[in-house]
Amino acid sequence: MEANLWMQWSRLAEQDPARDAIIHWVDDRADFRWRRDDLLREATQAAAWLKERGVKAGDVCALIIRHEPRFYPLYIGVVRLAAIPAVLAYPNARIHPDKYVDGLVGMSRRSGLDWVLTEQALEPVVGSLVSRPDSSVKGILLPLEGEWPVHPEDSLEPLEVDPRSPCLLQHSSGTTGLQKGVVLSHTAVLGHVQAYAEAVNLQPTDRVVSWLPLYHDMGMIAAFHLSLAAGIPLVQMDPFQWVSAPGLLFEAISREGGTLTWLPNFAYNILADRVHGDDLAAVRLDGMRLFVNCSEPVRSESHQRFLDHFAIAGARPSMLGACYAMAETTFAATQTEPGVPAKVLHVDRDQLARGRVVPAAANGSTRTCVSSGQPIRGCDLFVVGDDGAILGPGQVGELVIQSEWMFDGYRNNPEDTRQSLRSNQYFTGDYGFTLGGEWFVIGRKKDIIIVAGKNLYPEDVEDALLGVQGVLPGRVVAFGLDDGTTGTEEVAVVAETEFRGEKERKALKRAILMAGMAVDVTISKVFLVDPRWLIKSSAGKPSRKANKQRVLDELLTTPRETHDL
Amino acid sequence: MISETLKKVILAELDLDDCELREETVASEVPGWDSLSHIGILCAVEKAFKVRFSTLEALRLKNMGDLQALVTQKLKQLSDLSA
Repeated sequence: MEANLWMQWSRLAEQDPARDAIIHWVDDRADFRWRRDDLLREATQAAAWLKERGVKAGDVCALIIRHEPRFYPLYIGVVRLAAIPAVLAYPNARIHPDKYVDGLVGMSRRSGLDWVLTEQALEPVVGSLVSRPDSSVKGILLPLEGEWPVHPEDSLEPLEVDPRSPCLLQHSSGTTGLQKGVVLSHTAVLGHVQAYAEAVNLQPTDRVVSWLPLYHDMGMIAAFHLSLAAGIPLVQMDPFQWVSAPGLLFEAISREGGTLTWLPNFAYNILADRVHGDDLAAVRLDGMRLFVNCSEPVRSESHQRFLDHFAIAGARPSMLGACYAMAETTFAATQTEPGVPAKVLHVDRDQLARGRVVPAAANGSTRTCVSSGQPIRGCDLFVVGDDGAILGPGQVGELVIQSEWMFDGYRNNPEDTRQSLRSNQYFTGDYGFTLGGEWFVIGRKKDIIIVAGKNLYPEDVEDALLGVQGVLPGRVVAFGLDDGTTGTEEVAVVAETEFRGEKERKALKRAILMAGMAVDVTISKVFLVDPRWLIKSSAGKPSRKANKQRVLDELLTTPRETHDL
Repeated sequence: MISETLKKVILAELDLDDCELREETVASEVPGWDSLSHIGILCAVEKAFKVRFSTLEALRLKNMGDLQALVTQKLKQLSDLSA
């Protein structure tokens, strides 16, 4: 690997300029294919256009752009200027524009956003970011509207960049505005990509197919940067289109000869539910090497459903791998061995709850755990007990990672950095264990909710409900409930209210759902309860853990319509 | 016009007591109807009406009217086949 991303991409373009770099995939066969040389030429033009408008080295450029062929040279153009790209989610129609802008202002303060690069359609929404005194944004740029300079070399100096300087800003858990900014250096991204390429045994003949959004570390690092830096073609689909029609993934794999893809666990269930009959007629999955399950707890049932449905199209157990990854370690910490099915353990559930891994008895309560593989090169993992002591194989504790590709800390957030990053060890907040050299992730120390691969903090959901009339102030908790059908979690809310009438309680429930929608959170279950129903923690605040258990014990054993108590 | 059966299936899937569903209603206007629950809704509608939607048919759905039209078309195909 070269010393920085631009040099690496340039070397690959010189070696084989005509090779596909990115296939911008759309369902109606109007794909746009970026050759390596064209992509970099266009990126240089984008860099010159950005420079003319005042973007400088070190500036953070938020990219808020939908599935669009010129996104890629624009992103690369930001890197060419030695500025720092940060891909953000495009707002969906349900989020209130004011809430969205408030979120961006919060993000600009935390992450230090300097520029917003977006589409004309979004300008009326985000335009106020520049004038707000609490925002760091210097300007809104509409690069897709402008003509990029034809002779960019005239205005661009040769790129000189310290390999340890930032090359991108990713955002980890939370809703917009409260997410933590993770800054990664050229060294971290290139080094990690190389190590991860070894872990998945990347071959020149590989082709990555991905529908993952690029604001997510799995889409950004595993699909986008791995492909670009290793010189492997990337078939990039539209995430919005995929979720409307999941079968498009198989169409893209079949049409483009895909060999590698990364999926959060829920995607295995969705594919099994939605792709059937005629959709499978032209699908062939025989050429796939790996479907990597990541970003959510890996469920054995999801893998089995996938195999049951798609064995007929060529899916085999040896294709189903898994990895354990997070933005803070650039991406992966572990990966299962390519060509070998992820290992599965059936353990005693009660013993596991006590922190011990014991094989399940024939008639006992069983928990099935799927391995996330072994540490990739440059990463070490430890299991740590509550007292900080390192635990041995078969003992459950918090997973701690030491990585050569570690982030430097959360941007402008020393407090969270101190909590998570100690002596260059990242305390993940996940519970797990190791056995036989394999690593298993089984739960979370933190109250985080993972919905379809997206991490949500319950505090953000609870805060969104503060102003809902009828909910007693401070008397609401949010948590995640497992949904075996979708293979992911759903957001549940318990709120105390004094409302008694059926009509006003229905209106309150609806108001809670709408308040969630306004911050782009879908609340799937609302439990309205009487005052003093919620169990308090020792600190006097409603306890999420205890109240979740109370809901599971008392409310979810009753029919659905009685959730509203 | 959205049929009462289709409305009931969708409201049950979203765990909603009531919500106005017109032909021009889009998913973002309905509490709880996001990209993930959309999948569950399509599965529930398929199950309730004993029909199947292809990938491309699902992709073309833009509003409630499109979904109603697709269900009606599928039911007519079934009826023609059995006639």
